[in-house]
Amino acid sequence: MKVDIQSLGAFNRLTHEGAEQATASMCRMTGLDAVVDVTKISLVDRADVGEQLAGGEFVGVGFDFEGELAGETALVFDRESSETIAEALVPGSAADEAMARSSVEEIGNIMMSGFIDGWADFLGATIEHSPPEYVEGSGRDVLPAPSGEAATVEGPDAFEGIEHGDAAGSGEGASAAGGSLDQVFVFRSEIEWVGESVHFYIYMLPEYGPLADVMSNQASAADGAIPVDKLGVFNEMTSDGTQRAADNVEMMTGIETEAEVTQLSFAPIEDVPKQVGTDIYVGTVVEFTGVPSGYLMVLFDEVSAVHIAEAMMPVEMDSDELTDQHKHAIEELGNIVTSGFVDGWANVLQTPVEHTPPRLVHDMGRAIVDPLAAQVGRHQDHAFLIDSEMRTDDIAFGAEIQVLPDEKELRQALDELLVERADRTEADVERVFE
Amino acid sequence: MKVYGGSTTETEAETATATSPEQVKVGIAEHSVASGEAVLTTSGLGSCVGVAIYDASASVAGLVHAMLPSQDEMDETGNDAKFADAGIRRLVTELEREGADRSTLRAKMAGGSDMLDFSEDGPGIGARNVEVGRRTLEEFDIPVVAEDLGGERGRSLRLETASGDLVVKSADRAQRRL
Repeated sequence: MKVDIQSLGAFNRLTHEGAEQATASMCRMTGLDAVVDVTKISLVDRADVGEQLAGGEFVGVGFDFEGELAGETALVFDRESSETIAEALVPGSAADEAMARSSVEEIGNIMMSGFIDGWADFLGATIEHSPPEYVEGSGRDVLPAPSGEAATVEGPDAFEGIEHGDAAGSGEGASAAGGSLDQVFVFRSEIEWVGESVHFYIYMLPEYGPLADVMSNQASAADGAIPVDKLGVFNEMTSDGTQRAADNVEMMTGIETEAEVTQLSFAPIEDVPKQVGTDIYVGTVVEFTGVPSGYLMVLFDEVSAVHIAEAMMPVEMDSDELTDQHKHAIEELGNIVTSGFVDGWANVLQTPVEHTPPRLVHDMGRAIVDPLAAQVGRHQDHAFLIDSEMRTDDIAFGAEIQVLPDEKELRQALDELLVERADRTEADVERVFE
Repeated sequence: MKVYGGSTTETEAETATATSPEQVKVGIAEHSVASGEAVLTTSGLGSCVGVAIYDASASVAGLVHAMLPSQDEMDETGNDAKFADAGIRRLVTELEREGADRSTLRAKMAGGSDMLDFSEDGPGIGARNVEVGRRTLEEFDIPVVAEDLGGERGRSLRLETASGDLVVKSADRAQRRL
C-alpha cells in the first residue's frame, strides 16, 4: 500500500468535516456549544492506541462499519460530561442511570451517523454500520481493541530484526523481543466543549485491506506516494531516536528515563500548534538542515523543567521558581536530547543532519510552535509531525519531542531510505544506531 | 466559523439575561464575529497576528487569528482566516453583514512576535504578518487605534465586543488593556 499525500490530506479534511457534522448534531440537540479542536491521522504502535485517554473514565458508543471502508469506530467522552449532556437533553435524567445511558446512546448514534455518512458521501459508496453499542471503561479500554485486521503496518523483511518496545533503564537501547512492526492507523478528532475543559474523542480504526484499496484509488499520481511500510519503519526509527535521547537524559541526570509513545501524525498545518497545550513550556528549539530539513522542539512543562533541572544541579535549590540556573540546565539538556535524537536519525537516513545551536524558549506552548508551523506552512498545507514523549517514575518529569519536517524532503528521505536498505540482506538496528 | 448574534436567536436572549457574557474561542486560522455582550478569545499567538475590528456604535466586533501574511503567496485558497489579508477582508464583510458601518470601524492588533525566527533573509513571518495586516486595513480605511506587536513573547487575547477592549496577556508581564 502506498500513502499518497493528497489522499492523506483529503482523509484528514474528511475526518474533520465528519467530526464537525457530528458536533453540529450534538449542539442542535442539546443546546451545548462545542467545536472540533484537532483532527489528525496517526500511525501508532498498536499498544499505544488511545494513550491519550489514560487516567479518565469514559462512556460513549462504538460500532463496526463495513463497505468501501471497514473497521471500528468509537465516540467517547468523559463520564462527567456525559451527565451534563444527558441533563441538557432530558432535564432530570442525569440521576437516572438508565436514562443517562440512553441519552449517551442517542447522542452517540446521531453524532456517529453524521460522521460515517460524511465518509460514504466522500467515497461515493455505501458504508454499512452495526447498531451502536454503549461502551464504558477506564482509559483506552473504552476503545475497541484494534483487531488483527486493523490497518497494521508490517515492516519489510529487511527490518524484521528491529527491536522495539519499552527499554526502561537498560541504558543500552531497546531490549524487548524482536518482531515485525505492529502499527495501526488511527483517525482521531478531538471535540472541545466551549468554556469547559471537556473533550470528546472520535476514534476510527480502519482495517488494512479496504483502507489500502481506498488509498490506492485516491492516489492521484505516483508522485508523492509513500509506501506505507516506510512510514512504519520511520516511526520505529523515531522511537529508537527517542530512546537514545532518553538514555542521554539518564546518563546526564542519573534519573531512569523511559521513551514513551512515539507517533507520526499528519495534520493540517494550522492544527500543528494545537498539539501542544496552552500552558507555559520551557525547552529548546533547533532548526535542522539536510534532507529532510525542519524544526525540532524539546519541551518541558514548567514543573518538570524545575524538577529535572534540580536533578542536574550540584547544589540543592530551594526555589520552586524557574531561575536562570534552571534555564541553563534545560538548555544543556535540550542540547543532548536533540543530539541523541538527530544522531539516531542521521544514522538511519545515512545523511548528515546538521542543526543550529539550541535556542532556549520559555513561553506559552502554542506560541512556541506557531512561528515554526508558519515557516513550514509557507510551502505546505499539511504537515507530518513526529511526537515522542519521555517519562520517569522517580520524579515528576515529562518531556515532549516534536519534530516538524519539511514534507517534500521527508518524502524524499523515505524514498531513499529503503532503496539503500534493500541492498542489505540483513539490517541490524543496533548497528545502524551505533 | 461561527457567527453569533443576529436578530432573534434564543442564544442572544439567553445571553442577555445571563450574568457572564458568551465566550467564543477563536482558534488558529479561524475568525469569529459577535454582536452584543460577548467575549472572543484566542490563545498562543507567536508570530501569528490577531486583528480585532469593531464598531462600537453598532456593538459588533470580530477577531481573526491569522498565521501567514498573504493568500496571494499561496496556491491554496481555501481558508481565508489563515491569512492576514484574506482574513481581514472576510472579517470586514461579515461585520458589515452584521450591521457594522465601515466608516466607524476601528482596529486593534496584537501578536506578530519575532520569537524563533530562524530566517536569515528579510523580515520574519511575524513582521510580515503585521505589515500585510496593516496594509489590508488601510485598503478599507480602518484606523488602527491600538496595538501590541512584535517582541519575543507569545500572547493571548480577549476581545470584549461591547466596548471593543482588547486585553492582551503575555507570559512575562501583567496584562494590558488596549
